Amino acid sequence: MNGNLTITDCGDSALVAKAVGLGTEDAWRLVHALADALDAVRLTGVQGVVPTYDALLVELDCADTDHETVRRVLWHEAARLGPTPGPTTAPRHFVVPVVYGGEHGPDLPEVAARLGLTESELVDLHCGSDLTVRCLGAPAGAPMMDGPPFPAPVPRLASPRTRVEPGVVAVAGRQAVICPMPSPGGWPLLGRTPLRVLDLHDDPITPYRPGDTFRFVPITPDRWNDYADAPLAACRG
Amino acid sequence: MADTLTVRTAGITTVQDLGRVGRSRYGLPVGGAADQHSARVANVLCGNDEHAPLLEITALDFACVPSADILVAVTGAPADVSVEGAARPMWEPVPVRAGDTLRVTGIRQGLRVYLAVLGSFTADYLQGSCAPDTILGFGPALRDGAELSLRRTCPAFDHPYSRIPLFRLHAPVPAFPSTWTIDVTDGPDRAEFADTAPRLFDAPFTVSPQSNHIGLRLRGERLPRRVTEGEVLSRGVPIGAVEVPAGDELLVLHRGRGVTAGYPVLAVVTATGLSALGQVRPGQTIRFRHRTLEQAVTAHRAQRGAVDALRTRVRTAFDALRIRAPDGD
Repeated sequence: MNGNLTITDCGDSALVAKAVGLGTEDAWRLVHALADALDAVRLTGVQGVVPTYDALLVELDCADTDHETVRRVLWHEAARLGPTPGPTTAPRHFVVPVVYGGEHGPDLPEVAARLGLTESELVDLHCGSDLTVRCLGAPAGAPMMDGPPFPAPVPRLASPRTRVEPGVVAVAGRQAVICPMPSPGGWPLLGRTPLRVLDLHDDPITPYRPGDTFRFVPITPDRWNDYADAPLAACRG
Repeated sequence: MADTLTVRTAGITTVQDLGRVGRSRYGLPVGGAADQHSARVANVLCGNDEHAPLLEITALDFACVPSADILVAVTGAPADVSVEGAARPMWEPVPVRAGDTLRVTGIRQGLRVYLAVLGSFTADYLQGSCAPDTILGFGPALRDGAELSLRRTCPAFDHPYSRIPLFRLHAPVPAFPSTWTIDVTDGPDRAEFADTAPRLFDAPFTVSPQSNHIGLRLRGERLPRRVTEGEVLSRGVPIGAVEVPAGDELLVLHRGRGVTAGYPVLAVVTATGLSALGQVRPGQTIRFRHRTLEQAVTAHRAQRGAVDALRTRVRTAFDALRIRAPDGD
């Protein structure tokens, strides 16, 4: 058994394993290690795993397996991993050029004002540290990162946009994200990268994994074409 | 030259399969046929692998013409199926001769019809599935004149004397009622709704027009209310999650849902309930029915078991008629 985990049924086609009593970092490590372990087992009837911050959703077809079997395997793997598993893969690092403000980052002035910062102070904070990808989310494998050290959380837009362009760089709450595909979006936009964030035909679809780090680098709009449509790729590690 | 199925009247029709399984970890929703049961049965009636590409026809009339003799099966919401104007049954294999027009008209009581062809047709795949995904910009609706490349043909046949329908395969046909009963189990956050949770079962809900394969919005008299405070940390949410945003509507996530969300999950629609929900038309009313997990699992296994039994009957019938089944092509 692993005292730092609860496993709950979540309808007839899913279970949720949740890390409890652990710090943010350890909880995140545990649910992602557990997801990797379950993927490696390739258990019949398990159709998907969604590890996020402190929870792991396991999707299953209950005609091909049952909750008890999946639960037993999760407990077994959790016991094997222990409460504070190390990373399963070495983190890689991505450098992402971003054109801030203007047409690409229409919410930059308002976010800066709300946080009591100048626009360049906001950009400096957004670019000033490596941001860790915590999970992949909607839309389409978007890297969800712990946000830059802003002085306060950033509220979502009162009215979401019906479409944001691929590559936009957005923040909300204490999180940062790049939207890889055109999609509706309620997060304030700070800028946009000219890089092609993912290739729909790659398998897996994203070049990055949870645990990898991103560093944003400001570029001027006239350098857009130097990077346009180049694939996002890890630069070291 | 390859044989084709030419779409004459496309309506709202897409190439579908059972979905993009195993990609939720990368943020991709599974998608696939909204009524999984009907889609599965359509392929099984044609002797196909149940994951084979087929057509999902939504609400509007559809017509197509094959360039060679084929065998098809039409399942899903009640509709009028005809070949060269002569009525043909749903939920049974139907031969269509080269050049004859197959029509599906008057879709009623439900929303989606599935059309499978023996041997299926070639389809584009992305991330392991041909199911459309609006965010990925994949799998556009078919247009009038679209041509699908048939992978197999099936020599025409008919009953030599009586001309009565050839097949009586007794496919498991679900109910298409005027008021839907949708089964749910307790959700992981039920406790956050305290004594307002039973409101989910007290009165019917109306499906709003802003409903699609991503989710259905439901309007009701008295909605359950979350009694706890605080943001929910984003986490994976199951298909079928019944969420209660702050507004005046319930949200039920369907197969195209984003894999993560932050609303509390009051209940989860069962696997059989999701197929039914894939058929509910905007404006129709639904009532939720509480099931235990065990009841839900039993119902899903019974439905899948009925499809497995059908597969055996189809094999027997095809063997007797010397139809070469495409299974395992």
